[in-house]
Amino acid sequence: MSALSARRLWLPILLALACAAAILVLSRFLGEYGVHVLNTSLYYVILAASWNVLAGFTGRFSLAHQAFAAIGAYTSGLLATRYDLPLWVTIPAAVLAAILLGFLLGRLVLRMRAVYLAIATWAFAETIHILLTAAYAITRGELGLSVPPVFSDMDPRSYLYLFTGLAVVSVLGLHAFVRSPLGYFMRAIRDDELRAQSLGVDTVAIKTLVFTVTSGVAGLAGAFYGHYVVVLSPQIADFSEMAKIIVMVVVGGFGSFVGPLIGAPPVQILSSYLAKYGEWDMVIFAVVVIGFMRFNPGGLVDLVRAGWRRVRPTRS
Amino acid sequence: MTSPVLAATGLVKRFGGFTANDGVDIAVGAGEVRGIIGPNGAGKTTLVNMITGVERPNAGEILLGGAPIGGLAPDAIAARGLVRSFQVARVFGDMSLVENLLVPYLARRGRLAEGEARARDLIGRANLARLADAPAKTLSGGQRVLLQVAAGFMCPQLSVYVLDEPFAGVNPVIKDTILDLIATERRERNVTFVVVSHEMDIMRRLCDRITVMVEGRVLLEGTLEEVASDPRVVAAYLGKPLR
Ligand SMILES: Nc1ncnc2c1ncn2[C@@H]1O[C@H](COP(=O)(O)OP(=O)(O)OP(=O)(O)O)[C@@H](O)[C@H]1O
Ligand SMILES: [Mg+2]
Repeated sequence: MSALSARRLWLPILLALACAAAILVLSRFLGEYGVHVLNTSLYYVILAASWNVLAGFTGRFSLAHQAFAAIGAYTSGLLATRYDLPLWVTIPAAVLAAILLGFLLGRLVLRMRAVYLAIATWAFAETIHILLTAAYAITRGELGLSVPPVFSDMDPRSYLYLFTGLAVVSVLGLHAFVRSPLGYFMRAIRDDELRAQSLGVDTVAIKTLVFTVTSGVAGLAGAFYGHYVVVLSPQIADFSEMAKIIVMVVVGGFGSFVGPLIGAPPVQILSSYLAKYGEWDMVIFAVVVIGFMRFNPGGLVDLVRAGWRRVRPTRS
Repeated sequence: MTSPVLAATGLVKRFGGFTANDGVDIAVGAGEVRGIIGPNGAGKTTLVNMITGVERPNAGEILLGGAPIGGLAPDAIAARGLVRSFQVARVFGDMSLVENLLVPYLARRGRLAEGEARARDLIGRANLARLADAPAKTLSGGQRVLLQVAAGFMCPQLSVYVLDEPFAGVNPVIKDTILDLIATERRERNVTFVVVSHEMDIMRRLCDRITVMVEGRVLLEGTLEEVASDPRVVAAYLGKPLR
């Protein structure tokens, strides 16, 4: 019999730190491009983990997550270039912008049924994408907006420390979020919203909070990512980015906390090395997603668990 | 009756051109067990839905402990102590039984450790201990009903519990378990119950008074013996005498 209340609190922290150490050790054996791929993988780990809290845990299948990363990136980038503000001002401001827009969009769409919510969030993301492209007087559109880097030498290895730290903090924060009583409410809302409401759960408030927080996390990741790639383009808000996040979560394990953490890196690594063949990676991923959905909807997490059960020395 | 804990007056609910509740009045005293009977389609569930905020009445007033609750969301009404179960059992399928029961407890800012202890105790009394950590979707239909009813008892604020057909389609053992749970809550917390059911022998044992609904209206109210002998009630049940 498992005691829910006796869960060890230090275990996730130790695991996260062990993963961070492994990443830093691994990077010693990688060239500059390899480290760059690691950096972008960590960016997607944050996006996938936060989207999974919204879609997998709470059952709200938003298609606007990449738009909040873009809002974070452009808010910080524009504040830094147009007003010469330091990054320690612009990045918190970018997170705030993502939180605010997340709250407003959440209020608007969270009363909708699943399909309508997906369509409305998709429309919102497309609007952001078009705005970033069309308002070229401000954003420089497809030409790209040059923004200052976090580290003046622009060394990917310096950024690796940054993104590793950011991923550890974000993932542990999200973990605390879903392990709190809020996590119970999220899953109750996903399973049966009316039942949750009839037992006294303020479902509107919980959904709005989850939408706002996960949007803020995406904004945070986007802001730092912008000051890493240093040239922002509307591509960051493109639907293909959202599709990639979905692929990562499905491959890793939809609705499992660990799923996106182990799903994002392989997808991003594959995608980076397939980039020279054009958009073919998405075709491959589509097939992989269909395969997982059909034969192993639990994702890699499920495979790992099943494998573990087979190799584990049999205990009584 | 002392001033009622739950009182609805003049409740009307229309679905398109169809009037499912047509001026329903009901008043339930504190600590009472009130039964609601009536043929299929009489409007019992519609009444429950309006009282618990799931459906918005077209007209009428609902008072809980003297304060109006009409127009409030279901969670706000539950927070005020009026909790319900659904005719078709609703549980959180991907959550374990313990987690199912923790939801209403945590919603009132209860502590996890205490909530879990209470949940396991309640699951034990419901004879589901063996399944305590299994996902609720693995339960049988009758066990689901039991879990759903138990969830209401996990609400620390519970003062009025509305049960919509909690005995339909469950075996006699589970019926008795539910009756035991109800008796315990009455004794220990003085919870008021409103029970919708077609099971006359259970209603006879359980309820102080019965409200009979027919075609969206309250036909009459009284003890079970009083209503069962009323010729209009017999007629409403298609000529079958109530046993
Ligand atoms: N959402 C709805 N839309 C349209 N009609 C509805 C709706 N809900 C209930 N009705 C109608 O209102 C009438 C009363 O339904 P209700 O479910 O309240 O009856 P009931 O007394 O609970 O019946 P039962 O004993 O079968 O549970 C029925 O004719 C039903 O078809
Ligand atoms: Mg009914």
